[in-house]
Amino acid sequence: MFEAKSINAEHKDLIHDVAYDYYGQRMATCSSDQSVKVWDQDEQKNWILSANWKAHSGSVWKVTWAHPEFGQVLATCSFDRTAAIWEEIIGETPPQGERGLKTWIRRTNLVDSRTSVTDVKFGPKSLGLQLATCSTDGVIRIYEAPDVMNLSQWTLQHEIQCKQQCSCLTWSHSFSRLHPPMIAVGSDDNNPANGSKVAIYEYSGIRWTKTESLASIGINEPVHDIAFAPNLGRSYHLLAIATKDVRIVTLGSPPEGSSQRFDVQLTAQQEDNLSGTVWRVSWNILGTILASSGDDGCVRLWKANYMNSWKCIAVLRGDGTQAKSDTSTSSMPTMGQIAAPNQSSTTRYYKLGTITNPNQVPKY
Amino acid sequence: MSQKTMCVSQEGPANALALNRENNQVVIAGRNVFKVFSIEEEGFSESCNLRVGKNLNLNFSCNDVAWNTLEDSTLATAATNGAVVLWNLGKPSRSKQQHVFMDHKRTVNKVSFHPTEAHWLISGSQDGTMKCFDIRMREATRTFMSNTESIRDVQFSPHNSLTAFAAVSENGNVQLWDVRRPDKCTHQYTAHSGPVFACDWHPECNWLATASRDKTIKVWELSLEKPVVEYTISTIASVGRIKWRPQRKHHIASCALVVDSSINVWDIRRPYIPFASFKEHKDVATGLAWRGDPQVFLSVSRDCTLVHHVFKDATRPADQANPQGISLNPAGDVAFASRISTNNVPFSAKLQGYLRKSHLTSEQFCQATSSMHLYSVKAVRETRWFVESARRYILNGRSLAEMCDHNAGVARELGRHQVSLVWSIIKTLYWSSRGGPGDPNPPSSVAVSASLREENSASNEITTVGTVASAAIGESERSARSGGGVLGVSTTTNGEVSGTGGAGDGGGDPTEEEPEIDETTEIFQNGVHFGLPSFSKAPMTQGDFFFGDGEMDPLDMDTGLGVGNTVGVGGGLLGGVGAPNGGSQVGPAGGPADEWMLPSEAFPLRHEIQDRSPPPETFPNHLEPSEQETQTVAVEEQPAPLLNVSSLITPLMWDCGHVVADALRHHASLGDVQMAASALLVLGEKRRGLGIDEATQEHWMLGYIDVLGHHELYNVASQVIQLSWLPDVNQLSQQSTTYYTCCGKCEKPFLRTGWLCDRCKSSESSLCGVCHQVVKGLYAWCQGCAHGGHIHHIQQWLLTNKHCPSGCGHLCEYN
Repeated sequence: MFEAKSINAEHKDLIHDVAYDYYGQRMATCSSDQSVKVWDQDEQKNWILSANWKAHSGSVWKVTWAHPEFGQVLATCSFDRTAAIWEEIIGETPPQGERGLKTWIRRTNLVDSRTSVTDVKFGPKSLGLQLATCSTDGVIRIYEAPDVMNLSQWTLQHEIQCKQQCSCLTWSHSFSRLHPPMIAVGSDDNNPANGSKVAIYEYSGIRWTKTESLASIGINEPVHDIAFAPNLGRSYHLLAIATKDVRIVTLGSPPEGSSQRFDVQLTAQQEDNLSGTVWRVSWNILGTILASSGDDGCVRLWKANYMNSWKCIAVLRGDGTQAKSDTSTSSMPTMGQIAAPNQSSTTRYYKLGTITNPNQVPKY
Repeated sequence: MSQKTMCVSQEGPANALALNRENNQVVIAGRNVFKVFSIEEEGFSESCNLRVGKNLNLNFSCNDVAWNTLEDSTLATAATNGAVVLWNLGKPSRSKQQHVFMDHKRTVNKVSFHPTEAHWLISGSQDGTMKCFDIRMREATRTFMSNTESIRDVQFSPHNSLTAFAAVSENGNVQLWDVRRPDKCTHQYTAHSGPVFACDWHPECNWLATASRDKTIKVWELSLEKPVVEYTISTIASVGRIKWRPQRKHHIASCALVVDSSINVWDIRRPYIPFASFKEHKDVATGLAWRGDPQVFLSVSRDCTLVHHVFKDATRPADQANPQGISLNPAGDVAFASRISTNNVPFSAKLQGYLRKSHLTSEQFCQATSSMHLYSVKAVRETRWFVESARRYILNGRSLAEMCDHNAGVARELGRHQVSLVWSIIKTLYWSSRGGPGDPNPPSSVAVSASLREENSASNEITTVGTVASAAIGESERSARSGGGVLGVSTTTNGEVSGTGGAGDGGGDPTEEEPEIDETTEIFQNGVHFGLPSFSKAPMTQGDFFFGDGEMDPLDMDTGLGVGNTVGVGGGLLGGVGAPNGGSQVGPAGGPADEWMLPSEAFPLRHEIQDRSPPPETFPNHLEPSEQETQTVAVEEQPAPLLNVSSLITPLMWDCGHVVADALRHHASLGDVQMAASALLVLGEKRRGLGIDEATQEHWMLGYIDVLGHHELYNVASQVIQLSWLPDVNQLSQQSTTYYTCCGKCEKPFLRTGWLCDRCKSSESSLCGVCHQVVKGLYAWCQGCAHGGHIHHIQQWLLTNKHCPSGCGHLCEYN
């Protein structure tokens, strides 16, 4: 079902983030080696390094693409307490560096944070060119480029204090005018006593206010990643949370007369603990498949069936050599079957038992 | 030794600190503070305040302090007024000041004792000189002229020759000197691109670390002929101080001069991320000193505190760092980067038995790398469905029935039977009930179906059981959509409609198709008078279940019989009719349908499929002149009156809108916004009856347009925008679409109008080749020779001519 291909990214330290562009034809990686690399797909579907530059003076935590309407624009954030906006220079021929690399230039450096900036995400296109950052001192900052043609001018529109160190944030990309702009942040604070590690903020047109903390479903372990499913036509929101396991939370409209902002339901929770700590979650563009990855180095793909219960539909591993070194996964019951004869580079595809929450009520 | 993080505040910030030989006393010195503390188990206790006396002059204002390496009572300070001051703690009087060397002309930045020859003191000053003092002789024995503006740090080498020392200066240079040769330095090289603020000799190797304003720490190997950079650490701010960690060859502590108040300990082999970080200070640290133990060090900061740090309280930025990245693209490919564990063998665990001082496992901090994998989708999946459907759906320009049929056909070809079914249902509900031949009949039967719904749900449960059973079978071959499972699907027309649902279940996703049936399918089925009977058998049998279909009908009827008398009659009729009907259908359907599902053959088989697709559209309209017709008609006419009698609801009152709306909402929530948006478009004005509010409609349309954008289906997207009735969607095509044209002569863009060039001051390039007038609207031109003109003129011209109207002789090509 999936064909695995390995890319030698040649980063000198850990890669912290990978991001496809809007069309899925370019890819950006960022690493602790302070560099950002951009990869382009050629006609043979090979990924070719098209740019590589030192972006920060600290580990680069996250990289993200702006909507292509605004040009070829990347945002990065770093341990060096800054976030930066990068734009690819097209048309001006001279700076085609050696090996035909393309040139990206820093349009701006956002230096408001006093601590490491842990995540950076562009807002929905309907809001113009907005950027949210969060940092370990627990501040979310919303920037806006008032003139989308001038990427060197960004104004700090809002500063939201969220009291806990932030590790990740996500915008709700909804196309409904009934859904106000919304941001969810996760905290990797280790102290469970500090309460819920997820907070949801909504924009009223004047200010951002915290409208939900998911306290009812008790996420008190450190949250490493968080992602709203793209909302193309749902009346409710789906939020994936990477903590010690994968969780999917539904934020629906509250019942009549309720004082709550949302009807919060824990829709799914990974029941096995095969993946160890879950580090990343990511949705496909339709918001139908969730990919998660954990300490075991496997990618799990999750999909809801009609009962609205989420099942693991695939576990993706690297090639054989990687599987061998990864001894920690031997606890997986089905490992024996898959590892056996198949020496091809194709990824094994296998199904685990029931991983989802059985006490789900079908929503539809 | 105390293993606690401790802190003490003073009245002013200290610039430097120094530990005595036993590491149990610490002196801190600044402009307004000069104290000795003894370090105890639970905290600091002030043992001496040196800033006493009547005459607190600038000699008490210190940039640096050093503790004699042998004599526990001797201190030296570098004063801001250029003095180097010696202090004797053993002095009985209150003032401990022993001697003042007034040799430097400007501020002294650094004083340092020789590690073994304890009477040697060296100082580095802002005036660019270094002076070596013999504290026994009370005079500056030698002066070293650096020929630079200022010396920021100076330190005796603990290695090879006892006489070597290193000095770093603000111009980025490092100088290596021999104490015995004050005329000239032995080595000089440029180490950094900015001022060097500090240096530190490695206690074991012949390495010199330097720290600079260029935010880097460099480690120089000095054993070779030329100094070589062994390691470069890049930090986030100008580096103020550095100190090698004792007993850890590759570890060095650093603090920043500005911005960063944390103290970082680096492993020079992983120069990008601190090994440990200490965040006790609120402002930048100004001095640090290891307490002889790799786990403990002290620091002073501009926030006026002196802190005793222990390693167990450090944060480890690398552990908090996210080691993985994952991303999905519109095609469904997954990019995944994850950490490779380079050394799995816990080195320390092996050696623990041999080494007296065992390394903690947490001290393992080797270079980390990531591997990156791409998983590209190979199977037919959502993406392909989406793109194909988007391209092939017809959204306007035909009758509702035709569009629905076409779209149903497209969906079916792509193996999306539930979607196909919804299209068919929409057609049935909206077409046959309006202007169809059987105008009075279909609504009534629909009404019946509505009244049947509750009963259906009862039998539905049974169906679910069947599905679950088949799911168990299907599970093993889940990914392989077997031809057999799909067979039933191809004959979606009649009673087999329900077979479709079941069959799809058996072969494909066992559960996904169910909801369709729950809410809408059955209505359709009933509306066409076939639903119940053939409902649950298809999943039971694999492959040639069509015959089984017919055979099992009576059996299923039993389940249906519970519904009620009238229905029973109708069903009974159906059972009889359905069996031959099904049988007759299998013949034509079976063969091709088998290959039908193979995606690669979807295209060659297209015609065949279209041959087959008429049945769904014709059947409800009773247009098919086959032998089915008689049966169908018979079926339809008979139950209708029967059911009508039993049903108390006024038939025409039933509004199918909310059912369709529910179906579309369901699809939208499943992530198939394409279905929802396309159906809205196809329904045209009838969408008003759905009762879906405009916000939701807009939500779907915008969502669909966005996904189309992801797949670069701009034509479809603009068609959707154009067809949209919502102002907010419709306006999308009228925003930010600017197309500039250029002057044909000078290639300067037209700025004001599309035909007058500002530079040439003429509209020569905009002349029509036929009428020789300026073209102020659409200018059609030949791509070959670039001549053209008014589009209608060119059209006329080309009717009779083949060559360019301008006379250039080009055989123009327009298409």
